[in-house]
Order: sequence, then C-alpha cells, then structure tokens
Amino acid sequence: MTANDTDAVTIRFHRTLYSEEAIEEAAAAFAGLASFSIRADGEHHVVDVSAIARDVDGDVVAEFCNFALANSARGHRSGNA
Amino acid sequence: MPNVQIETLDPATATLTLALDIGLYPRDVLYAAAYVFLDRAYVLLDRRDSRFAVRLRAKRPLDAAALRDLAGEFENELLAQALRHRVVDANQRIIEDVVAVAIAGATAGAAPVVASTPANPPLIEATGPEDGFLVDPHGIARPLEPGKETTE
Repeated sequence: MTANDTDAVTIRFHRTLYSEEAIEEAAAAFAGLASFSIRADGEHHVVDVSAIARDVDGDVVAEFCNFALANSARGHRSGNA
Repeated sequence: MPNVQIETLDPATATLTLALDIGLYPRDVLYAAAYVFLDRAYVLLDRRDSRFAVRLRAKRPLDAAALRDLAGEFENELLAQALRHRVVDANQRIIEDVVAVAIAGATAGAAPVVASTPANPPLIEATGPEDGFLVDPHGIARPLEPGKETTE
C-alpha cells in the first residue's frame, strides 16, 4: 500500500488472493467514503483510492482492504462448496 | 527457516509482516486464519514466489512484545485451520452421509398437507372479508361479569 498524498492511496491486491468481484463489491460498499479506480497490473489488481473521507472514525482504506479480503475468502469458500 | 517468519515488526505503527510457505499453508487455510483476525487487525495478503506475505496492523496500539504475541497467535490459528481443513477433507463423505440421513429423516416426519374439501372445510376462510372472527354464534366473546352481558 502506498500513499501518494494525504488524499490518495494505491493498493496492490495479488490476483491469486483477491478476486476482482470481491474488490469491486468492497469498492461499492465504500463508495460513499472514497473514490476507487481498479485496474490490472501483471499479477496484481491495482486500486487507486482518492477523495478519502477524513471526517469518519477509523481507517477507510484499511477497512476497505479488510472488506475485500473477507469478500474474497467468502467467495472462494462458496466457490469450493 | 521457520514455517512462519516475522519479516518486519514496527511497534510505532503496530504493524508486522509475516512470510509463510505456500506448500505448508494452502490458500484456504490462509483465508480462514486471516478472517479470524479481521476484528482486531487490518490484514493485507500478498504473494512473493513460493511464500505468502501477511501484513497485520493492529487496530489498537501494541508494543513489540504484543506484536510478537500477535504473530504467534496467527501462527497458532494457521495450524488450527490447517488441522480443521484436514479433518473436513478426511471426513467429507461421512459428513455428507450424516447430513443426508438427517434431511431424509426430517422430511419423512413432516405432516402431509391435506387439501380442503366440502366435508373437511378450512378452519379459516382466507378469502372472507373478516376471516369469520367477528361472528360469534355461541356467545363465546360475551363477558361473564354482571352488567357486562353485551359485547361492544
């Protein structure tokens, strides 16, 4: 995870661990708190997060990462079922 | 090299990075262990060649000792989930058979649905405007106390 400035962060999610659907779902859930742009870059999904709301409790970007991980884990599990 | 290695540990940001062998801990196990920690840490997974990298940032401040404890707890959770995964795999057929028998038993015990007939009318007329609950031909709703013989 890299911070460009106070209002923009770039996150790299490895394709084998995070599905694009899981990231998109997380982005939709957090759409009211930041802007998300998702693109592919080699083995990673790269997410540029900007316009991050600062007037909320907690770390929006980190919570977004947790959400994407939870979605990926659930999706992987249901895909195996 | 240990199975799970602490690569970085920074008490200032309550962050640590673990590296673990993909061959020992498959993705299912990693997901399950990481999921358990979502309530107390921010978790970011990555993959580097034959190892998974797990970045944990505690949601509350932790000193170096507490961060090492967190790493140990994560490793314990990996082991627990790996064992659970193995038990499920080994007993998959038994689990499916038990569930099948339970569902079959529950289905066989259910009361059959009886269609209403003129000889066996439904207890409640679903299409009736009042469902019949205001009709009181036997005076059941009439109060027994003196002076209150009439219903409102």
